[in-house]
Amino acid sequence: MNDWWWVSTVTAGIILGTPLLFATVGEIITERSGILNLGVQGMMLVGAVAGFWATFNTGGTFGLILGVLVAMIAGALFSTIHAFLSITLRVSQIVSGLALTIFGIGLSSFMGKVGSEPLVGEPSRETFKPLFEGGITELPLVGPIVFGQDIMVYVGVLTVALASFYLFRTRMGLSLRAVGEDPASAEAAGVNSTIVRYVHVMVGGALAGMGGAYFALRVVPTWQDNPIGAAGWIAIALVILSSWRPWRAMWVAYLFGSAQFLQLQLQTLGEPWSNIPSTLLQMIPFIMAIIAMIVFASGKRARLLGAPAALGIPYFREQR
Amino acid sequence: MSERRFIVEPRGLASGWLIVLVPVVSIILALIVGAIFLTITGENPVAVYAKMVDAAFGDGRAISETLISATPLILTGLAAAVAFKMLVWNIGAEGQLIFGAIFATGVGIWIGDSLPIYVTLPLVIAAGALGGAFWAAFAAVPRVYLNTNEIITTLMLNFIALSFMNYLIFGSTSPWRDPDSATFPTGRPIPESGLIPEFFNRLGYGIFIAIVLAILTWWLIGKTKWGFETRIVGDSPDSARYIGIGVPKKILGVFLLSGAFAGLAGSLFVSGTVGALDPRSLDLGLGFTGIIVAALARLNPIAVIPVAIFMGALSNAGPALQSIGVPPETVTMLQGAILIFAVAGEFFIVNRIRRPEKSPKPTSLPEEAAA
Repeated sequence: MNDWWWVSTVTAGIILGTPLLFATVGEIITERSGILNLGVQGMMLVGAVAGFWATFNTGGTFGLILGVLVAMIAGALFSTIHAFLSITLRVSQIVSGLALTIFGIGLSSFMGKVGSEPLVGEPSRETFKPLFEGGITELPLVGPIVFGQDIMVYVGVLTVALASFYLFRTRMGLSLRAVGEDPASAEAAGVNSTIVRYVHVMVGGALAGMGGAYFALRVVPTWQDNPIGAAGWIAIALVILSSWRPWRAMWVAYLFGSAQFLQLQLQTLGEPWSNIPSTLLQMIPFIMAIIAMIVFASGKRARLLGAPAALGIPYFREQR
Repeated sequence: MSERRFIVEPRGLASGWLIVLVPVVSIILALIVGAIFLTITGENPVAVYAKMVDAAFGDGRAISETLISATPLILTGLAAAVAFKMLVWNIGAEGQLIFGAIFATGVGIWIGDSLPIYVTLPLVIAAGALGGAFWAAFAAVPRVYLNTNEIITTLMLNFIALSFMNYLIFGSTSPWRDPDSATFPTGRPIPESGLIPEFFNRLGYGIFIAIVLAILTWWLIGKTKWGFETRIVGDSPDSARYIGIGVPKKILGVFLLSGAFAGLAGSLFVSGTVGALDPRSLDLGLGFTGIIVAALARLNPIAVIPVAIFMGALSNAGPALQSIGVPPETVTMLQGAILIFAVAGEFFIVNRIRRPEKSPKPTSLPEEAAA
C-alpha cells in the first residue's frame, strides 16, 4: 500500500510544503498586524544562507539546531529594516518590502560566494533526516506520511497550532488583530500599536528565515544561488489562499508542495503524463492565486475573507 | 503620556536641494554598507568600486554598454513612475516586459524579411507596447471594475509570464523557438529588418526612443489636461469624482500606459540587444530594477533618465567584478541597499522633524493632551 504513487507524493509534498508553511504562517502573523511585507523572498534567502553557514561551520545535530536558530535570528533582524521603514518612517510598505527582497537576494548570493571557503557548491554538513525508524514508519499510509518525516515537519505543524491559538484564543492575539483592523482604536484601548507591529514583523521574519533554512538543510542541501526558487512569492499568494488563517495555510502549503512534487514526477511517469509541459504546470499556483484574488478578495469581499482592514496603510499617531 | 522628544510634521512643499541631496546621500550610504560587507569578507572596497567605475565608464565600449543597460531601465522606471504617482501599485513590469518581448519577437518573426525596415521595425516596437498593455490589463481590469488589489495580481502575473516564455522556448515547438537550435533550445532570431540599427559600438537608437518617451511623459503628466486630471485622481480620488472626472477610466488609462512602457522595454531589449526571445537574457529583474529607478527619481519622468543610466552602469559593472574574484551579486546587494536608503530618505523629504517648543502655547495644549 505504501508504494502507491500518491503516498510518496503526499510524503514528499509535506516536505516541500513545510518551508512554504513557515513563510506563509509568518506572513499571516505580520499581515494580521496590518503590515504587508513583500520581503518574504529576501528574508527566506537571508535565513537560508545564514542557517546553512551556521550548520556548515558546526555540524552534527547541534549544528542543525543552531542553523535553524541562526536563520530565525537572521530573518528577524533582517525584517526590522522593513519594520523601521514602514512603521517608524511610514513609507510605502510595497516599495519597502520590495527593497528588502532585492537586498536579500543580493546579500544571500554575495555571502554564499565570498570568504576563504565559499559556500557555493558545498553540500551541507548535516541534513534533516526522518525522526522515527522501524515498524512505525511501515504502518499503512500513516507510516511514511505521518511518521516518516523529519523533526521540522512536526515543528511546522506545532507552529501552525501555536499561531492559530495565539491569534484567535489569546489576549495578545486579540490585540494584534485589533492593531491590524484599526490601530487608532487599539491604541485607545491601551495597545501600543508600534510595538505590536514591530514584534510581529520580526516574528514573520523569523519564520521566513526558518523556512529558508529548511530549504538549505533539507530540500536542496547543497548551497547554490537562490535555493528556494520562488517560494517567498508563493507564500505571499498562499496567505490569500489561506484567507489569513494558519490551519488553512498548512493545508494549502501541503497541497502546493504535493503539486510541485507531482509536477517533477510527471516526467518519469511516461506517456501521456510526460507530455504535459512542466513550464505550464509551474503557472498553476500563480493562476490559482489570481483567480482566488479576483473571485474571493475583490473590494469589500477581502474583508469578509479575513484581510485585516488596516493592511498596508501607514498609521499616523500624530495626525489623529 | 510622556513628552515627545521630537515632533514629526509634514512639510508643505519639499525644497529643491533636498530632492537632489536625498538620492545622492542614499547612494553614498549604500556604498558604505557595501564597503562594510566587502571589508568583512576580505575584499578591498576601494579596488572593487574602482573596478566598477572602470567597467561602467572606462572607455567608449564601457559607456555604450552602460547606455544599453540603461535603455530598458528608463522604460521600466517610467512604468513604475507613472503608476506609483497615481497610487496604482503595478509591480508587474517584469511580466509586462516579457509579454512585450513575446509580442515584439512574434511580430518580427511573423513579418520576416518581407517588408523594409521602416515598416517592420516600428511594428515590432509598437507590438511590444501592445503586449505590455495586454498583460497589464489582466490586473488593470479587475482593479478598476472589481476593486481587486493589484499588488498581488501583478506580482503573480510576473511568474505566469515567465513560465509562459519558458514554455514557448523550452516546453514546445512554438514559432518563437529556433528550429535550428539542436542541443539547447534558443529563441528564433528576429530578421534584420526588425532590429534597431547600432550607431556607437553595440548601442542602438533605442536609447533615444526611451529618452524621448521620458520627456513626453513629463509633458503628458505635467502640462496636459489629461495629466492634470490624472494627478487629481492620484492625490484625492474623492475630489476628482466630485468635480466630475471619470476615475475608473483614468486609473485604467494609467495602468495600461504603465504596462505599455514595460512592454516597450521588452521590445527595445529584444530588437536592440538580444535579437530573439531569449529567456536567460530577459530574466534579469529589469522590472524590479525599474522600481528602484522610479523611487530614486522620486517618480519624476525626467529624473528617471540619469537614474536609469546610473543603475545601468551598476548592472553593467556586475559581471566585470568576477575578473577580480568578487561576486557580481555585489551589485544586486548595492541596488537593494540604495533602494532601502532612498525609501528611508523619502521620509525626510516629506516630513520635517523638529524639537517641541519649550513652553507650548496654551491653544495647542488640548490637542497634545488628546494625542
